[in-house]
Amino acid sequence: MSSTSNAPTGNNRVRIVVATSVMLTFISYWRAAAVILNDLGSSAFYAGGIAEQAIGKSAPWFVLGVMLFAFAVRAVYVESCSMFVRGGVYRVVKEALGGTLAKLSVSALMFDYILTGPVSGVSAGQYIAGLINDTIAIADAHGWVPAAIHRIFHGTPQVGENATAVVFAVAVTLYFWWQNIKGIEESSEKALWVMQITTVMVVMLLGWSFFTLLKVGGHLPPFPTLANIHYTDESLGFWKHSKLPHMFGILGLIIGFGHSVLAMSGEESLAQVYRELAHPKLKNLKRTAIVIGVYSFVFTGLVSLLAVMLIPDNVRMKVYSDNLIAGLAMNMVGPQVLRLAFRAFVVVVGFLILSGAVNTAIVGSNGVLNRVSEDGVLADWFRRPHKRYGTTYRIINLIVGLQLFTIIVSWGNIYTLGEAYAFGVVWSFVFKTISMLVLRYRYKGVRNWKVPPNLHLFGVEIPIGLASVGMVLLSTAIVNLFTKSVATVSGLIFSIVFFAIFTFSEKVNRRKHAHSLAQMKEQFQLQQAESVERETVGIRAGNVLIPVRDYNTLNHLKWVLDRTNPREQDVVVMSARISQYGTAAYGLSTEQVFSEYEQTLFTRAVSVAESFGKKISLLVVPARDPWSAIAQTAHNLESSAVVAGVSSKMTTAEQAFNLGSAWEAIPEPKRQFLLQIVAPNGNVDTFRIGPHTPTMKNEDVVLLHRLWLKITREPGLENVHHHDILTEALTRFEKDYGAHEREGICEELRLRADADPMPIRRIADQIQTVQPGPNRPDRDDGYRSDGPPTPDGDSSE
Amino acid sequence: MSLSVLLVKILEFMFVAGWAGSVIVLLLTGYEDVGTLLDRKDENSH
Repeated sequence: MSSTSNAPTGNNRVRIVVATSVMLTFISYWRAAAVILNDLGSSAFYAGGIAEQAIGKSAPWFVLGVMLFAFAVRAVYVESCSMFVRGGVYRVVKEALGGTLAKLSVSALMFDYILTGPVSGVSAGQYIAGLINDTIAIADAHGWVPAAIHRIFHGTPQVGENATAVVFAVAVTLYFWWQNIKGIEESSEKALWVMQITTVMVVMLLGWSFFTLLKVGGHLPPFPTLANIHYTDESLGFWKHSKLPHMFGILGLIIGFGHSVLAMSGEESLAQVYRELAHPKLKNLKRTAIVIGVYSFVFTGLVSLLAVMLIPDNVRMKVYSDNLIAGLAMNMVGPQVLRLAFRAFVVVVGFLILSGAVNTAIVGSNGVLNRVSEDGVLADWFRRPHKRYGTTYRIINLIVGLQLFTIIVSWGNIYTLGEAYAFGVVWSFVFKTISMLVLRYRYKGVRNWKVPPNLHLFGVEIPIGLASVGMVLLSTAIVNLFTKSVATVSGLIFSIVFFAIFTFSEKVNRRKHAHSLAQMKEQFQLQQAESVERETVGIRAGNVLIPVRDYNTLNHLKWVLDRTNPREQDVVVMSARISQYGTAAYGLSTEQVFSEYEQTLFTRAVSVAESFGKKISLLVVPARDPWSAIAQTAHNLESSAVVAGVSSKMTTAEQAFNLGSAWEAIPEPKRQFLLQIVAPNGNVDTFRIGPHTPTMKNEDVVLLHRLWLKITREPGLENVHHHDILTEALTRFEKDYGAHEREGICEELRLRADADPMPIRRIADQIQTVQPGPNRPDRDDGYRSDGPPTPDGDSSE
Repeated sequence: MSLSVLLVKILEFMFVAGWAGSVIVLLLTGYEDVGTLLDRKDENSH
């Protein structure tokens, strides 16, 4: 055993390597753009309607202005990411303005994140309710609704749009609450799929709208002058009795801009996906920014403009204010049935993207609260993992509780929700941009890109571009404080309550942490490492990696320790600390990664190892996805086997498939290894991860041998080997599969699979199942032979 | 001039000046963006 293993050091402390870099699988800029657009693009479904309700028919110009200005805000995010890999609001504000303002900015960001859920859920519900009502109305116009139903409903049956929206939003929120409690994994694949379908809808919508404009003509909305901006009492808030909004033209523009600013919510996601972008990171970030900028400008901006041009004034705000795209679909030229079908498609797309935004809201809020709680500003009580699923269920419960409260209090009023939403959006941008301005003078580290233009006067840099963006945001945010009374009151109450919770928790935690840190330092010696390497952990190749999560289920560790000889093989116990989107966007310190929970977990693991009298190495790895973390760690540590416990959520075959998929994502060159999954009753399922010699059936071996016998009788082929025949057969198979015989081959394989069913398609092939045997040594050296493979051989074969 | 009018004047100045500067940001970054989009040699579209 290497001297740097886990063994208690000279002062009896156990060494633990804590990796501080989150293990991520990198994604292309298209996927990154899809992830962001799932949030940013969803606002197209409601932003235009909310803006027009507030300021009248000239609203689309403001929405277009906001989408144009969003390009400049994006430049601020690109600069922050060029300085910090995790360049989110919290990190940047903390760096520039200190912990207090960072807590305040996170409170505003939380308001934004938490409201994303209700706004999106209610909006999707409004689209569904609108479709139901219009379909019934059309059916009634054709005389398809029986008179008896008419009598019951005293006319055409209609569902209450707000009540339906509330029921739908509550149902979707509860669905994603349960998914998050179970710990569903975020997938850029799913986001890309949703955006592909959305793009089909956007292309059809724009094409059909322009065709309609050519056929029936249309007028541009009135330009945003003081005379054309029509305020309501609600849109002036605290200024409803003031003369100021009617005196100044430019103030009218700021008010209109402030009522449209929610169209660019979701920009923060740019900082959060940056960590996961593939090389070259900065260039790909710029590409992502361009894609999302152009897409949201075309989608949100043009849809708002076309809605005013095509939907008649008498129905636009009266019928379609909460489902503007549906109104657009119903006012195209063409047969009614086709328009209704397209509207149904709009509703399906709206359901997909808006439901996705509900999930993003929960995941994002959970990520941000996890991050701040790791920083000690939220009580540890919130972070206690779920007994079965290991998720931070108390934080998820808190977020979802607040979201359900918001949905019910608003009673499906999308306008109120949208107005409040803008508070969080604009103030988190303000904090971010002001912090970036401060960092222009305070930050001395690497900065690969700056928002242009920058003037140099007497050796002092004047960041004109950054200051300009900041001035627009700050003036809008201040005016919003006066004109959006609901947002100001609810946003301030929310932010102050969260700020108070953060500040109080921080004080309590500081005392508590000082005590537990002292205790931890007595027991463990933390060694920080940027990445996981075999040399850092101090182990030999061919080791066994044991992922652990729950300190109550360490049977697989006992199973390994019962079967390994520490002189031959090192045992590494690893805990993957799961960081979600929000968390991955921020820097992690050793204390954040190695929390009280990991301390308890490793204390148990060490005591199990001590009961066997064997040494183990300990490792904590932050990760977005546990499978990627295990696969990458096994690869980096050159492990010969990974031994895991049985999951409560999936079968062993599914566990193997997930690990196999994660292994596939690792760049070449990579090593294969065995996965052994130990059940509580001692049953062990063994899988090979990565390409390997398949298990051959006896009849296939016989067939191969028979062919070999025949072929070696051919002149000039006497020296052919069995493997030559296999190579020739596979080469021909590949050619046939790639050509015209693909369907036939697939059909035959399906028949074969039906005749010999396997649990799932797998990248990892199951090779054998080890049954629990008598608990006695069966090797000469006293170690059982049914354990993990040793560095020199494979005991499971 | 009352305090509220002064505040409005300041806010209006910030908004107009900010927009003027932001338009320059948009033009400069837009020019750079065209270059970024045309440079596809290290593009990875997986």
